[in-house]
Amino acid sequence: MSNEQSTHFGFKTVAEGEKAKKVGEVFHSVASKYDLMNDVMSAGLHRTWKRFAVEISGVKAGDTVLDIAGGSGDLSKLFAQKVGASGRVILTDINASMLSVGRDRMLDAGLNVPTLQCDAEKLPFPDGHFDCVIVAFGLRNMTHKDQALAEMQRVLKVGGRLLVLEFSKVWQPLSKLYDAYSFKLLPIMGKLFAKDADSYQYLAESIRMHPDQETLKKMMEEAGLAKVDYYNLAAGVVALHKGYKI
Amino acid sequence: MLTGLSTRLLQHLIAQNSWACPLLQPHAGKCVAFKLGFFSRSLTILEDGSLAIAGESHVADASVSLTPSLALRLLSGDEAAKRQVVISGDTQLAAELAKVLAAMRWDFEDDASKLVGDVAAHKIGQTLRGIAATGKETGSNLAAMLSEYWQEEMPLIAKKRQVEAFNSDVDTLRADLARFEKKFAKLQQQLNEHAAAKGSQA
Repeated sequence: MSNEQSTHFGFKTVAEGEKAKKVGEVFHSVASKYDLMNDVMSAGLHRTWKRFAVEISGVKAGDTVLDIAGGSGDLSKLFAQKVGASGRVILTDINASMLSVGRDRMLDAGLNVPTLQCDAEKLPFPDGHFDCVIVAFGLRNMTHKDQALAEMQRVLKVGGRLLVLEFSKVWQPLSKLYDAYSFKLLPIMGKLFAKDADSYQYLAESIRMHPDQETLKKMMEEAGLAKVDYYNLAAGVVALHKGYKI
Repeated sequence: MLTGLSTRLLQHLIAQNSWACPLLQPHAGKCVAFKLGFFSRSLTILEDGSLAIAGESHVADASVSLTPSLALRLLSGDEAAKRQVVISGDTQLAAELAKVLAAMRWDFEDDASKLVGDVAAHKIGQTLRGIAATGKETGSNLAAMLSEYWQEEMPLIAKKRQVEAFNSDVDTLRADLARFEKKFAKLQQQLNEHAAAKGSQA
């Protein structure tokens, strides 16, 4: 396996072609319990983080929003309320199991949100189409993050913004405590609530392999985004990056 | 945590003062830093015309700096203090945002009415306004009393009349000095001319 063709899957190194399949298996396995686990793991904070992302997006009535790796549709639901009947939100995910959970929720909530299964590295949308693109807790699972970011930049209108909500590097004094939580407690909770310790082990590992705040900022700038700024949430456990297409 | 809370409060204020959105929208994406002594906070204008606390790595497009004493003067409604606020960068943006922030009002009764109902909220609002007005009146009475004491009983502060008289004396002294300097220069010139004429005769 040459270095160019390999990538990380948690702490393991796998062939690039295999990563998407393996990530797919993880999310297929956790899809039905995904939100429950998110609530348990973050003590409900993931809802606050998502609401904060929507507030920072500056999305208004009539805007078009693309929710990438939207899975169970939490963000799409919040955005759909913001853009109103004159706007549009499109919920996408590469994983059919996660997307079907999101689609059903949108229908149950009476929201007209089209759902689309697609790869963020090859978005099936024309250039300059969206006012806002958001990817929440999805970028770290993508094989070619640079390619995905470039695609997100491509589909944005000039003046549009990309928001990336993702686990990040925690404030140094808390790192030991955070490590203990991630590698000891998280798999146990995964086993207890979702009957799947391995998937939650992957979650903890993939967070550690994800670029830190400054590196991701640089990657977004390299993808052609300008005025990139970020917010540390919960002492850096999560960071929200925002960049503009100019 | 605080950033999220502050942003939520700002957006709530903007929602109550919706007139501000069209004024701020043309500046969407821009960031203004406010510096008060050692305290500094930056606000960013969002695309919907609302406001948020700026992120960790923002670059401010403009900055507004004021000292704590200047802030107190501004709060007391001193118009002259406005001219001493230091604005740098995009001055139009900073002035616009400062103007909007100064004009924004928190509709306390609207928020309280959701918790306790309209009538009770109005009564609470009335009571609070009464307390604030009494506090303001008491404060100005106390200030007047202290200034009178320090002017009349224990003269630590000069009276306006005395300050004006002093200023007038300084002006007179300055004018006298200027006249004296001119006369002295003229005399010196005459002396020099006289010495030069004597030298040529010899």
